[in-house]
Amino acid sequence: MNLRESSGIALGALRANKMRSFLTLLGTIIGVMSVIAVLSFVEGLNRFVSNKLLNAGANVFYVDPYGFVTSQEAWDKVKDNPPITLDDGDALAGSVAHAANVVAQAETRGTARYRDKEVKAVSIHGRGAGFELIDDLTIDRGRNFTEVDDQRRRMVCVVGSEVADELFPRSDCVGKEIRLGAESYEIVGVVASKGKLFGQSQDRFATIPIRTFQKFKQERGSFGLAIKSLDQASMPVAQQEVRNILRGRRHLRPGQPDNFGITTSENVLELYRTLTGGIFVVTIGVAAISLLVGGIVIMNIMLVSVTERTREIGIRKAMGARRRDILTQFLVEATTLSISGGLIGIVTGVGLALLAGAVTPLPTAVSWPAVGMGIAMSGLIGIFFGSYPAWRAARLDPIEALRYE
Amino acid sequence: MLIAIRELHRVYEVGSEKVHALNGVDLDIAQNEYVAIMGPSGSGKSTLMNLVGCLDTPSSGSYRLKDHEIGAMSDDELARIRNMEIGFVFQTFNLLSRADVLHNVELPLVYAGVKHEERRRRAREAIELVGLTDRIKHKPNELSGGQRQRVAIARALVNKPSIILADEPTGNLDTHTGDEIMAAFQRIWEQGNTVILVTHEPDIAAHARRVVRMRDGKIESDLRQESSQPASKGSQVSGAAR
Repeated sequence: MNLRESSGIALGALRANKMRSFLTLLGTIIGVMSVIAVLSFVEGLNRFVSNKLLNAGANVFYVDPYGFVTSQEAWDKVKDNPPITLDDGDALAGSVAHAANVVAQAETRGTARYRDKEVKAVSIHGRGAGFELIDDLTIDRGRNFTEVDDQRRRMVCVVGSEVADELFPRSDCVGKEIRLGAESYEIVGVVASKGKLFGQSQDRFATIPIRTFQKFKQERGSFGLAIKSLDQASMPVAQQEVRNILRGRRHLRPGQPDNFGITTSENVLELYRTLTGGIFVVTIGVAAISLLVGGIVIMNIMLVSVTERTREIGIRKAMGARRRDILTQFLVEATTLSISGGLIGIVTGVGLALLAGAVTPLPTAVSWPAVGMGIAMSGLIGIFFGSYPAWRAARLDPIEALRYE
Repeated sequence: MLIAIRELHRVYEVGSEKVHALNGVDLDIAQNEYVAIMGPSGSGKSTLMNLVGCLDTPSSGSYRLKDHEIGAMSDDELARIRNMEIGFVFQTFNLLSRADVLHNVELPLVYAGVKHEERRRRAREAIELVGLTDRIKHKPNELSGGQRQRVAIARALVNKPSIILADEPTGNLDTHTGDEIMAAFQRIWEQGNTVILVTHEPDIAAHARRVVRMRDGKIESDLRQESSQPASKGSQVSGAAR
């Protein structure tokens, strides 16, 4: 008897008990569905991170007083570190040989106004000249501000496309004066749109020269420094140069810890990996438990099925079915059952992921390896948990089985 | 000789007690015989039928079917013999309730490894032989008792076995339908098949050309009778044999 015969018999048996088959499969369905849904979400995040976070500002690292803090103890150690000043930035710009660019940065939030129109909660960035290389921006219209604009603390700004469109729905904004908080700035350029990130617009900002920012928005306190190395290979060298210069300026002796922090996208990525790794482990745990339960339910229902169909087994044996024919029939039946559950789980899991992607800002992408894994896993469950009932069926005595009422 | 049985014993252990269901049976059955095995319940006729049908193996003694020793066979070899050599007809029909007539009849061919097209063709032939072509897509519960038993007969014939083995084939049928079924066995026998009936009804046994009576695990008598008897005469012959 071949596989086609067996699976035909199996599907017939499943159809004969639709409700029971469905209930039997719930565990497997939920297990596979949760794996698919969560892995699709993780996969979406992965793509998102590699597309947006990592590519933007390649070869860039950041200097601030604290570094990449992930715990309370770490924060206690660094919270009293001295601020990073614009002078630190100038010193680095002048002497880090492997830096292509050093840009000081700071930000606040405020309202942008033009006549009777206003845009609330705009990110107001202070940036040194050349920030477009660091932030991976392009100027769509007009020009960027320059080193001279910065040194002279000119009242100029470039704005994100959303701010430009909302304040000037019908006219070009370049050359117009807008208010950012209390002061007026001339728009010299508009930045090309970058779209949304986690549902947040990336185009709702206005950038002014860092020294203008220092004068009007932040008279004291620390700045961040973004440093772009010459290329990927020179990143570590550039970081070492930055450390040496800052330690020198702060008169740190050998053996004393740094009182400033250097953060790379690698640090962020590491945290990200730890987080999603955690999600992954929890998902696998939950899935393993529901699949185990699902498997046991399948085994139970197959044992019931074997008992119910004792007479059928007797008939088949009398007609010449060998042990392995009966074994195959029930194994195929268990596997068909569990793979059906797996397929339903995959469809609902993918559906759930796509739905979540459509109605929430969460990025999702179907993880095809997870789909394959779902099918393989549900198949293995059928074989594993179907073996014992199938073996029981195969070794039934034909006379006893025929007599069974 | 098609069937050669020598000193056949079958002992069951019920708890600590040993029950001798067969206690030294000798029996030869040739090709194209029509044999009825009779006896009261507990006489061992069912045990003998199970052994002849290769559903069971003897405790001791020899059962040779077409010169193959059955006692020495493995489970899978027995399954193959049942598939190729034996066609069963049961009192309770024993059809697969979820399968239609066609699928029930082709079941032995499935296990014989016959290809799909060939299987369909042979199953249709067998169904035509029992006159159920118009019921081919029906499920057993849509058929009358007589029709079900005819399906079972078609299934027994489909793989062209050496022996048709019928266990109380009319036990669940009314007299009229029972007569139809017995007429069908008559035809099958006339076409050259070997038919073995197990029954406790003298009327049914009367159709056979040879009646083997059992009592207490042994053969009590083994008589040949000339021709198919009507029911009344059949009981006379049985009476004479007793």
